[in-house]
Amino acid sequence: MEHHTEHETKTPTTPAPALTNALTMPIAVVIAGVLIAGAVIYSGKTSSSNTAVAPQQPVAQQTGDLEQMKPISKDDHIRGNPDAPVKIVEYSDPECPFCKRFHDTMKQVMDEYGKTGKVAWVYRNFPLDQLHPKARNEATAIECAGDQGGNDKFFAYADRLYEVTPSNNGLDPAELPKIAQYVGLDVGKFNTCLTSGKFTKHIEEDVQNATATGGNGTPWSIVVAANGKKYPLSGAQPYASVKQLIDLALQGK
Amino acid sequence: MLFQALQKVFQKPTYAFLAFILSAMMFAFAAWLPNIRLIVSVVSSSDTSLSQKLGIPLSLLGSITTNFTSLSASYTIAIAVLFGVSVAMMVYFLRRKIYEVKQDGIATGFFGVASGVLGIGCAACGSLLLTNGLALIGASGVLAYLPLAGGEFGILGVILLSVSIYLTAKKIQNPAVCKI
Repeated sequence: MEHHTEHETKTPTTPAPALTNALTMPIAVVIAGVLIAGAVIYSGKTSSSNTAVAPQQPVAQQTGDLEQMKPISKDDHIRGNPDAPVKIVEYSDPECPFCKRFHDTMKQVMDEYGKTGKVAWVYRNFPLDQLHPKARNEATAIECAGDQGGNDKFFAYADRLYEVTPSNNGLDPAELPKIAQYVGLDVGKFNTCLTSGKFTKHIEEDVQNATATGGNGTPWSIVVAANGKKYPLSGAQPYASVKQLIDLALQGK
Repeated sequence: MLFQALQKVFQKPTYAFLAFILSAMMFAFAAWLPNIRLIVSVVSSSDTSLSQKLGIPLSLLGSITTNFTSLSASYTIAIAVLFGVSVAMMVYFLRRKIYEVKQDGIATGFFGVASGVLGIGCAACGSLLLTNGLALIGASGVLAYLPLAGGEFGILGVILLSVSIYLTAKKIQNPAVCKI
């Protein structure tokens, strides 16, 4: 009798909801599976036209090794004091909306720490071709600006590009010579440089170095402390976080 | 029915507190995930002061406004809240020692969290978990072809967690009486 009562209390009230419950999860999982499968098939059809991020990110590199960061040299584009005790190496994609946001954060950093020579900003290229096919050409444009006018024009061009681009592959390529003109470059020489392929290897080396150090998205930054210690910083983090990290890096002896 | 179940569970401060703590943990996990290496480095370093060990992770929580789109910030917060509510309701239910918790409810909640976590980082340019996972099968380009670039997984997470809460609420509201 007692056993009977226990059994009765465990009995579901109606069979219909049980059927619905039983179907909910499999349906949701199937929908997710179809979404993924469809996207995989579609990307497979068009992959030849893009440089995939995936092949550049073998499994071993996903955790990355900050010590693989290419040493900062005179070939780098540096804003601020090249001998600053703290250097922030940023790997950036001109069409990434978060890089656009972080570009402003870095300008704020330079306003506070750059003038006193405490922090230097090293800009490197990390165009994510699969997400933003226009980004590599824009990275080339920034390099061409630097080629023609040194670091000042490099950063002037970058500042203007990040300012005008709506991000997410939204910048009209016709804007690139206009930006060149805006920052005072010789547009003819700029256009020649843009199509010359002069910086193809350099940009690809930056991309490879970014992934080797653990970058799997942009912006990807490495804060190099006064004592050489490296701190990874992923994404467009708030100024308060960057500031605290800089202060920590500055105290390293 | 759902409202009554929520009222029944969360009028007890213990469960409201549990939901709050779990939601906060889930939110912190989402915000910190891209910078786990940095946090470990700072927290484990003997060179950093206590204020730095606390200050840097706390300031990184602000990334919800800088490193997320409006959509991804919305579903990240929604997933955190729904996760806390869902688990607290399940605990309430289990503590009443009603052993007819359908695996559907728990499993749906699990898939909700898993799917939501997949969506984390998709907001940034280059998803964290999703890109790395898909890179293993050479398919990280998938994200470029999803209309919301991976945000679909976050939305799916919100839906599954909502379903989980609904199923649990239904179980809580089911009176444990003898069926005629």
